[in-house]
Amino acid sequence: MARVTVADDTLTVEVEGLDKLWALRSRLEIPLANVRGATRDPGIVRDPKGIRAPGTHVPGVIVAGTFHRDGERVFWDVKDPEKAVVIELADERYVRLVVQVDDPRAVVELVEGARRGR
Amino acid sequence: MGRPRAFDEDQAVRTAAELFAGHGYEGTSVDDLVTALGVHRGSLYKVFGSKRGLYLATLRHHLDRHVLPFAAELATARDLESALVPAAEAFDGGPAAGLLLLAQAERAHRDPEVAALTEEGFAALERALARVLAASGGPDAEAGPDLAAVLGAAVLGLRLRSRTAGVVPKAARALAACAVPPPAGTASRPADLPTGE
Repeated sequence: MARVTVADDTLTVEVEGLDKLWALRSRLEIPLANVRGATRDPGIVRDPKGIRAPGTHVPGVIVAGTFHRDGERVFWDVKDPEKAVVIELADERYVRLVVQVDDPRAVVELVEGARRGR
Repeated sequence: MGRPRAFDEDQAVRTAAELFAGHGYEGTSVDDLVTALGVHRGSLYKVFGSKRGLYLATLRHHLDRHVLPFAAELATARDLESALVPAAEAFDGGPAAGLLLLAQAERAHRDPEVAALTEEGFAALERALARVLAASGGPDAEAGPDLAAVLGAAVLGLRLRSRTAGVVPKAARALAACAVPPPAGTASRPADLPTGE
């Protein structure tokens, strides 16, 4: 589970609870200028994810950590696909973050609205 | 940025516009889009940023390719009836017919960028009708835009019904007759008015 907040032109994603152990990196701060959008996407969990390093991947149970595919680095922290949100980035270490959040609709509106307000 | 796009963006936007017009914004999932567009999910996010980014692109495309050219053509109609009947039957048409009205109903109240795009389409319709009114002996320049706004709203209402109701051309003709009454001595054609049966 991740907590997504916006303050001072910065998007903060905090990985909460035990997921910290698996995803290793517990806090990401991204300038809003490098955030390209957010989308609720339950289906993304079924996509090939590539090679994990570091983190953990128990197929069908949990996806957490950094995955590499087609030269892209993607941060994952998802257990419940229904609550998966994709945050697309530019000029960052990760090309996108795929995180599970409490209220996907609210997080999508928060991120898309914050981009709009810039 | 420098990498060539992995797919035809224009084609993707056209296909997505049809999906959104058919199922709405909420009713179209990223899975639906990935399947119909035949692209990798990662490419979709890379090019459009988000589902909303793609949705805004489809609205822009629908306006530029269909709504605005259609409105420009309406503006050249020889009289009000020749503008109102086709408008009631085919405004917001094309392959993604209905996308504009659906966006207005589903998204505009929550999303200012969607609202700006739908308003652009509706304003184009009103401007076209105002021009036809002015050219066909309608009310004076001051009252013209107000009447055009009323006619525009009525046309949109008829357009919403046009896929299921058969009374649209008749109602649009009646609307034209009310807005710009025919000169005295010609038949006022009351039989054309909808009877509300």
